[in-house]
Amino acid sequence: MSELLHVSNVTAGYGDGPAILDGAELTVEPGKVHCIIGPNGAGKSTLLKAICGMLKVRKGDVLYRGESLKGLRPDQVLRKGICFVPQERALFPKMTVRENMRMGGFSLPDTSNLEKRIDEIEERFPILKERRDQHAGTMSGGQQQTLAMARTMILKPDIVMLDEPSLGLAPKIVQEMFDIMRMMAAEGITILLVEQNALMGLKNSDWGVVLDLGKTLFSGPAKDVLQDPRIQDLYLGGSKAA
Amino acid sequence: MMSIAFQDTSNVLQARAEHNAKLALRADRKRVTWFPVVVLGLLLALPALQFVGNYNYVLHLILFTACYATMASGWNILGGFTGYISLGHNVFFCIGGYFAGMILARYGVSTLVTAPLAGLICAAVGYLIGRITLKTRGPSFIISSLALVMIARILFDNWHFVGGANGVALPANDLSVVWAKLPYYYAFVVLAAAAVFVSYKIKHSKFGLGLRAISKDEIKAESAGIDTRTYKTLAFAISAAFVGMAGAIWGEYLTYIRPNIFLVILVSVNMVLMCILGGKGTVAGPVIGAILIVAFNEIFVATLGSSELNILASGLIMALALMFFPLGVIGTLAAKHRLPRILNWD
Amino acid sequence: MADILQTLILGLALGGVFALMGSGLSLVFGVMRIVNLAHPVMIIAGAYVAYWGFKLYGIDPLVMLPVAIVILAVIGILLYKLVFEREARSAKYSEMTVLLTFAVAMIVEGALGGLFTNTQRVTSPAYATDAIFIGDVFIPTGQLYAGILSLVIIAGLALFLKYSRFGYAIRATTQNREAAELLGVNVSMVALVSFAIGIGLAGAAGSLVSFVFSFFPAKHWEWIAVLMSLVVLGGMGSLLGTVVASFLLSVIAAFVGTYIGATWSTMTFFLALFLILLVRPQGLFGEKPELA
Repeated sequence: MSELLHVSNVTAGYGDGPAILDGAELTVEPGKVHCIIGPNGAGKSTLLKAICGMLKVRKGDVLYRGESLKGLRPDQVLRKGICFVPQERALFPKMTVRENMRMGGFSLPDTSNLEKRIDEIEERFPILKERRDQHAGTMSGGQQQTLAMARTMILKPDIVMLDEPSLGLAPKIVQEMFDIMRMMAAEGITILLVEQNALMGLKNSDWGVVLDLGKTLFSGPAKDVLQDPRIQDLYLGGSKAA
Repeated sequence: MMSIAFQDTSNVLQARAEHNAKLALRADRKRVTWFPVVVLGLLLALPALQFVGNYNYVLHLILFTACYATMASGWNILGGFTGYISLGHNVFFCIGGYFAGMILARYGVSTLVTAPLAGLICAAVGYLIGRITLKTRGPSFIISSLALVMIARILFDNWHFVGGANGVALPANDLSVVWAKLPYYYAFVVLAAAAVFVSYKIKHSKFGLGLRAISKDEIKAESAGIDTRTYKTLAFAISAAFVGMAGAIWGEYLTYIRPNIFLVILVSVNMVLMCILGGKGTVAGPVIGAILIVAFNEIFVATLGSSELNILASGLIMALALMFFPLGVIGTLAAKHRLPRILNWD
Repeated sequence: MADILQTLILGLALGGVFALMGSGLSLVFGVMRIVNLAHPVMIIAGAYVAYWGFKLYGIDPLVMLPVAIVILAVIGILLYKLVFEREARSAKYSEMTVLLTFAVAMIVEGALGGLFTNTQRVTSPAYATDAIFIGDVFIPTGQLYAGILSLVIIAGLALFLKYSRFGYAIRATTQNREAAELLGVNVSMVALVSFAIGIGLAGAAGSLVSFVFSFFPAKHWEWIAVLMSLVVLGGMGSLLGTVVASFLLSVIAAFVGTYIGATWSTMTFFLALFLILLVRPQGLFGEKPELA
């Protein structure tokens, strides 16, 4: 089917620093889970930040439904329907869970239904209901990640970009996070996932993209990426790891 | 596909090698040592003018500039090289002035003799204070340095032994009007030359390298095996010593010591401002800055003559410099590779 | 016993005023991570607004208070646009930013000195010299009014931060600027408004200060260290911390003043600042040493 988001030949970097992304390509299809893998420093997080407007796109373009996102601020990209959950999870440690949820709806033009919407989401994530008056900073890593992901659903976004949701979590908890992600995808949210843990990420995704040295090296169905011997060798720590 | 990627890295390597070669070429252009030496020679010979007329005003201006060049160069060792911005360095100006001044008042020994001792005392006090305040970093350090001035002001204002807020009058020397400024003139010119020389030596030593590492990234410097605490405390002490020596002689030159000569904010601000305008962390910067600020003050005070407007103007220059000229004269020229060789003292 | 009670009451009354003086500083640091050394001189500017209102038109400083807030807030907006906008966007602290606020402090001090000279001033409405007696203990009416009004204003600020939509945005930006931006907060607007509120609070504090202390333009140097001690002890950016620290330190200062000597009373703040920076730079309510 048609593409939802298209990143073409994008160059980007931090401040006046060198280009981390150097001609990256990416096609995002609606409703699928896309997993971007690659070694440290390959530019995976940089790519997500360039899409959401946190970093300036120096060259190339980012097209969303055929419309350029270049030069937009993060809050403007968000209002187009693209949510970004960064590695640090973007929580407010000294606000309660409930207040964090309310902040999730900050960009809504009409907040009259906000409390109801939060109640609905809390029903689906009992842990958030249980902890609603607790400061977010006092929760465990998995709970914080759950909050960060659940919070994006308030906006009913088209695309949710997740930067290493597994970071610092125990393997069992990581699977829970991927389950939440799959559940979001099942509701029609397109997912763009960046994972250090390439194996687990690909297993939970539909589409795999290999990024290295700022360029897209490979892109294809997640199954094919998992089985490609060259990729196994270079990026999946050899087939033994499976 | 992979081969393309590796080709890219080799391109990068080649570019890096070329860049390094360019850098080496630039460093190869020899700096000019004759220029500062000639300037110093001229300054030492200048008082001969007094044989043909009264050029006391010229001598005063140069002496004043040299005094500030000494202090700014001293400040630069901590603020420029090490990256710890102190707004409280006038405390050492005060301590130096009072130490040597009180010896002069009580025992009649000229501050020209006791200035090095005052420098040592200030280094010791600086070392102790640095030991404490250098635990903080960034804005905390700046604030602690301001608090230091406030504490010193209260102490000196209420210390009866040194005359409290009224201070102490010092005996003037018995030279005739034409020659009276000369001892101080020479003292300050020599001090300024020493401060510049020491700055140069520090910058080109392992110690100076350590200080620059601290200013870039203290945590990395520490993990690279630099004893950052000792390094920066020593930088604080050396920097305090120069400011203290300048204070010692300044008191006798003015013939009185009083808290509101030394412990006013403009004195600290001038040190900072000179270094920023001239170029923080460069050897020639503080000297250029001192010349600019003294010249500016002279014009400004002469035409407007009010200390309020002087504060306003200093603030304005500082704000403009920070916003539009943060590298200063030397730094900006160097960044554009336009620094005249005679000003490259680094 | 009456002595102790008396000292305590005087300390508490001033504590309220100090809390208001420090709260704007704390707010601006929280949102912009800028240590605004020009804050105290803005308080002085606010005091002049109240002073001239009273002197020229006989308007009570308490009535001038909202006027001072508006005037100073406008100055704050101009200052932000002219000077701090670039700094705020970089969102990263640098020493240069602190020096920049220092330069602004000098500019404002010089301007005030040029306009109004360095004469000591004090606004003298009738209540400023009055006192309420309860048994042996007296409360200077001026300090009582100033203290209570300060607390009312701070409470208003706290409610605004806690419950209003903009308050959410301010708190979010304070805690995690990047996250706030990702959730759709226009952080530059938040910085601008917070800066205006912060400087406006300086105006409010100034009107109260105008009849509690005598003031002149250069007085702000003394207040820099005093206010810093309050916000640093309270934990930079924490409003509650600033209030608690203000009461604590001003009561201690009052006791030092009564039992050791008036000269040493301000010394309490400076020494406290020194000690806090060394022992617990994150302050009472801070969790990590954001300033270090």
